[in-house]
Amino acid sequence: MEKGETMVSFRHVSMQFPGVLANDDVSLDIRQGEVFALVGENGAGKSTLMNILYGMNKPTGGEVYIKGQKMTEFSPKAAIARGVGMVHQHFMLVPSFTVAQNIMLNNEPRRGIFYDFKAANDTVNRLVAEYGLQVRPEDRVEDISVGLQQRVEILKTLHRGADVLILDEPTAVLTPQETEELFAVIRRIVAERHMTIIIITHKLYEVMEISDRVGVMRQGKLVGVRNTAEVNERILASMMVGKEVLLDALERVDDHDETVAIEVENLQVRDSRGLMAVNGLSLRVQRGEVLGIAGIEGNGQSELIEAITGMRPIHGGTVKIQGHDIRGLSPGQIRALGLAHVPEDRLSTGVSAKADITDNLIVGKEKRPEFSLKRVHMKRRSIRRYAEEIFRKFDIRGAGVDTLTGDLSGGNMQKVVVAREFSFDTPVLIISQPTRGVDIGAMDFIHQQIIAKRNASCAILLVSADLDELYRLSDRMVTIYEGRITGEFLPDSIEKTEISYYMTGGGSRKEAAR
Amino acid sequence: MKKETKNYLVSLSCAVLLALLIGAVIMLITGHNPLEGYGALFTGALGTPRGIGNTLYKAAQLCITGLATAVAAQAGIFNVGGEGQMFLGALAACWVGASLNGQSPWLVIPLCLAVAAATGAFYAWIPAVMKVKMGISEVITTILMNTIAIKFCTYMANGPLKTTERGVNQGTASLDKLFRFDKLIPGSNLTETIFYIAVLTFLVWYLMTRTTAGFEMKLTGQNPRFAKFSGIRAERLAIIGMLISGALCGLLGMFECFGLQTRFKADFSNEFYFDGMLVAMIMRYKPVGIILMSLFFGVLKIGGITMQSRTGISSELILIVQSIIIFFMAAEDGVMQRLRLRRAARGLVRSAGKDGEA
Repeated sequence: MEKGETMVSFRHVSMQFPGVLANDDVSLDIRQGEVFALVGENGAGKSTLMNILYGMNKPTGGEVYIKGQKMTEFSPKAAIARGVGMVHQHFMLVPSFTVAQNIMLNNEPRRGIFYDFKAANDTVNRLVAEYGLQVRPEDRVEDISVGLQQRVEILKTLHRGADVLILDEPTAVLTPQETEELFAVIRRIVAERHMTIIIITHKLYEVMEISDRVGVMRQGKLVGVRNTAEVNERILASMMVGKEVLLDALERVDDHDETVAIEVENLQVRDSRGLMAVNGLSLRVQRGEVLGIAGIEGNGQSELIEAITGMRPIHGGTVKIQGHDIRGLSPGQIRALGLAHVPEDRLSTGVSAKADITDNLIVGKEKRPEFSLKRVHMKRRSIRRYAEEIFRKFDIRGAGVDTLTGDLSGGNMQKVVVAREFSFDTPVLIISQPTRGVDIGAMDFIHQQIIAKRNASCAILLVSADLDELYRLSDRMVTIYEGRITGEFLPDSIEKTEISYYMTGGGSRKEAAR
Repeated sequence: MKKETKNYLVSLSCAVLLALLIGAVIMLITGHNPLEGYGALFTGALGTPRGIGNTLYKAAQLCITGLATAVAAQAGIFNVGGEGQMFLGALAACWVGASLNGQSPWLVIPLCLAVAAATGAFYAWIPAVMKVKMGISEVITTILMNTIAIKFCTYMANGPLKTTERGVNQGTASLDKLFRFDKLIPGSNLTETIFYIAVLTFLVWYLMTRTTAGFEMKLTGQNPRFAKFSGIRAERLAIIGMLISGALCGLLGMFECFGLQTRFKADFSNEFYFDGMLVAMIMRYKPVGIILMSLFFGVLKIGGITMQSRTGISSELILIVQSIIIFFMAAEDGVMQRLRLRRAARGLVRSAGKDGEA
């Protein structure tokens, strides 16, 4: 097949889910040998469209052609047979298997009735040489970094003979450096093997960096396809949201009262496997400031936050909230000291998906006199009135306060969490990944709320995997690596590349020398 | 009403109607007139004071056991051990009651109520603590504890506590006439216990749907991590849910024995608890639904007997109808989703057609 020929063709594709038209009459051609970026807000329908191509969903309308052939059967098996491969956001690997075993899964080499480890490793080494993606076939997947795991996923699809490769938010879990490496790999397989790459992403600068063409989706529709060279981030952002977004209008009022509200001293916390995830970590947060914690996931951020909020026992050291030692206190008792918490995983910790919005907004306030008589009899009318007020104030978009929280989009669900926690009006806020998987509109709204809290002299501890977010919100930043703080910076005095150096442990020696 | 609730009621009505329809078809096939059959069923259950009495008695039984399941389930614990809690509650109350024969009922009955509730609650507390503190599955422990309790009570009724009266098989000494709950409608099984049950039903409904404790229990059951995160004392609520569940079962055991049986008898229950558990599961642990469904199942059960005697249609048919309702409600989730998808797809085609015309 010639470079530039149409590989994949969507013709008037629609996908109706209950209550949601996820794809609305999408027609799109993707050509051989190009890197095609698909961007859009959360819930714009990017993943749905690609899941159709990979056979995970059968469209409710329209047709899909791969290499000129109409797709009749929609299953990953059929898609793989036609050369379509997909690397999902959450990897589909067996952690306890080796790299080679994972790549050869469902295609195992045998000698007699036995697994042929040597043949598997040889095949993988051949693939590695062929595509220039460095992995060691005998490593266990659970022992290697996320970036390498992603490579294993890519090799798996290549081994199955894919020439169209779909990457669903591939950089969400990567460090800046790993992202660079991934992009180098993409460029190489496109240049050398004429692969077709479709990359789904939120991050516009990545679109500019890696793609040849870009398609923008909004509310299920494809609103435009452009040559990347002819657009810039600003144009793309405004296509995505339908209106110009100004992401730099956060007003700060500087009125530090300098009381230390969060004080962590030499903290040690074990993770679920019993390993020391936080090891001798100290930090302080004053009222009226946002302290951002930058780090690659899995370096103890989650355990740190869980320890501060009472969800995980403290092994050593002290944590003081508003001057009170919290060791041994329950989450409820710590909240009573004046702390509210936006957790990193809203679905497992931040909401009850089976309860409606009202219930999720009122939790923790149900025993207040305005909502219950003698802390027992719930005043349903005033609860509803309150929920409706918060619902409007935080611009939550759903049918109404009776909507099941599990039916909301990620952004709106996050707004429910933020709305509830912020309206406790506590002097201390612990915020983890406030805008993960949230569209730009909701993200900007949440950022403004956070800064408003800061200006109202809250002490805010912010953990985020998104450096842009940390830069935008933090007054001070620290980097965390293997459970320790490796450096402290002011956001405007350090480059992102420098920060990522500290996040990967590069600065630990320097820190010791300081 | 919430959309969710409305959809559920529609599904439930469909399931009930379909089940009755299938029942009618079976009657036709076996050469009976369905109108006659169902006529006998409903007049049997609701046509005479005696029928109404028996129906209410059965419904009350289902209602209490159903609510007992639901109140624990709301807090995230699945109590399969109600039968055992009921046996122990009944035996303890009867033993205390019979030992105080001759005393004032104003003293003895409240005391027995307390004993029955406390015994049932205690027997439910054991698996609850094992679950909360040690993570041992309550489903397994409660099932096994049923056997222990039932065998123990049977042994007591046949051995140490066996009555000296003649002609009474595996029963304890009879209770003072003044302690007994009298029949309200002659010839029916309905006793004064219905008033106690009505009060309990109201209290449990109120607790589950109108109080902060019920609200916190609900969130604990839905997402325990979220409950803990929000400062709810989830473990404590799970235990409280189990205590209430066990107390209700213990009380029902006492009602049965102080009412119909006039003593503890080892065969007083025909697995009552499991019927109620089923009702609770069909109604997804929603109190109002459980109350209504108990009434309906009561009608079926009692009417079925009349139907058999009057028209010769086997009362087993009622079991078939009940099973079909349960079957449909179990399939409801999947069926509804498919219907929604199909409707959505059809709507899409229609709107696409309109666009084409324009």
